[in-house]
Amino acid sequence: MDLVPWRNKRRRGDRDTGEHPLARLRDEMESVFERFFGNPWGTGRSPLLSPTAAFPQLDLTESDSDLTIRAELPGLRLEDVKLEVSGNCLRITGEKSAEREDQGRDYHYSERQFGAFSRTVQLPAAADPNKVDATYKDGVLTVKIAKHPDAKPKRIKVRNA
Amino acid sequence: MSDTALEKRVMTTDQPERTRSGRTYIPAVDIVEKDDELLLMADVPGAKAEGIDIQYERGELTLTARVDSRQPEQTNWLACEYGVGDFVRTFQVGEGVDAARIEAEVSNGVLTLHLPKAEAAKTRKIAVKTT
Repeated sequence: MDLVPWRNKRRRGDRDTGEHPLARLRDEMESVFERFFGNPWGTGRSPLLSPTAAFPQLDLTESDSDLTIRAELPGLRLEDVKLEVSGNCLRITGEKSAEREDQGRDYHYSERQFGAFSRTVQLPAAADPNKVDATYKDGVLTVKIAKHPDAKPKRIKVRNA
Repeated sequence: MSDTALEKRVMTTDQPERTRSGRTYIPAVDIVEKDDELLLMADVPGAKAEGIDIQYERGELTLTARVDSRQPEQTNWLACEYGVGDFVRTFQVGEGVDAARIEAEVSNGVLTLHLPKAEAAKTRKIAVKTT
């Protein structure tokens, strides 16, 4: 089994030398910005703008009556997660505290994520921020937000004039 | 913290044909060595105790956690940042583990395995006497 974390090694800045030093500097600067802010055509992932870099990762689905947000947060204690609705933003914050108080223990593998996290989701206008229900089961946090009754699709009859 | 570590890893190695379709993911694990046992903790969000299968065969320990889809086939996705599927991972376990006494529990999506060390592999402290 491959235990080395997968990582994309290609960077646009890693070019052959031999160009003019200024050209090389320019390339280097470009690649720094690309790596930081993300390049839509490049291979690197941006730590700031790419949704996949955020933790926890979210699934957002919509049904006729509600919106559902699901996040995988294994090993969380209920008191460590906080949900806030302000305006049309839903904020999920929390801290996954490690069970590893005893730092002296001998770690062979350490892949699981710990620490503070925060995600903010902008709710569509149809969502009713007063009707939010959140549950946590088997390590999956589910947040259901009801839609305004008047946001549900309405059928409009076309009549003969 | 590297950004790629935050993503769920999809199993891509050559695996025998599976009876369940869908992607398989590699759970993130911590393995801690303690005086009398190895402690393995694996993140398997969405898995229930009855869907977890642990097999030990010829020095290989295989964890399989069945995770059912949380959405019906016809779903209106607004954002889909992660995939949902079974977790599978295999470890080589040396002679130092007493396979007969391996124990497992699952709580809040974290699977914990206790792998007791075989008597011969335990660290022994030898007291030094003064004469």
